[in-house]
Amino acid sequence: MTPDRIERETLIAAPVERVWELVTAPEHVGTWFGDAGAEIDLRPGGAMALRWEEHGTVRARVERVEAPRVFAYRWASRMEAEPEEGASTLVEFFLEPDARGTLLRVVESGFAALDVPADEQERKAKGNGDGWDHELRDLAEYARSEVAARP
Amino acid sequence: MTAAPAPEVFAALADPTRWRVLTLLAERGDGTATTLAGELPVSRPAVIKHLAVLDRAGLVEARRRGREVRYTVRPERLDAAARDLADLAAAWEARLAAIKRMAEEG
Repeated sequence: MTPDRIERETLIAAPVERVWELVTAPEHVGTWFGDAGAEIDLRPGGAMALRWEEHGTVRARVERVEAPRVFAYRWASRMEAEPEEGASTLVEFFLEPDARGTLLRVVESGFAALDVPADEQERKAKGNGDGWDHELRDLAEYARSEVAARP
Repeated sequence: MTAAPAPEVFAALADPTRWRVLTLLAERGDGTATTLAGELPVSRPAVIKHLAVLDRAGLVEARRRGREVRYTVRPERLDAAARDLADLAAAWEARLAAIKRMAEEG
């Protein structure tokens, strides 16, 4: 009943190893997630940084690395902050080989465990709305540039 | 771009008793700590604490009437939380679509 998680999936006509690479390699993550690169120390407990030119850096910590099936990290709910308990949500990628390719499922959870000071709530809720809007626009732009770059 | 839609709302809803309090208020239109405690397996002081959490999250509104405080549900915050989650889900859909395109083109 708790609306504490988001779950989405997509079927990709590519081998699981290829999808794993796109989901975990910093040079790829830095394009479909942030727009200014990423750093990923790909082992449990390893540090991650997701960078946006305009907004700055979001820090994350790797939780699970089970190539090529499971990749999970906890990312900070505030820019430039450490991904501590109460200030981060969990993102999990599950890759399932399928006759048609790979089923990629993402689950983000832990919103109820976030601990935000009362005076920050309003500003933060507003700020996030703006952020996600930007993010979608960025992605749309990235999608267009990818298409344009094809031979 | 950080992942925190109205966290205080989700934290408030995460407790089954608070969810029950909210449901009862929605069904009855309004209620007091006393009427709610009469319908729940918890004490009046416990109900008062839960109402305070719901109030801080903006999920209920308290109105004093004489000696009692009557509570009603504020649906706007629930709507806003649902919209926040829908926004987050849309962002993940867009990311998955980007990964899919890269994988299938590359």
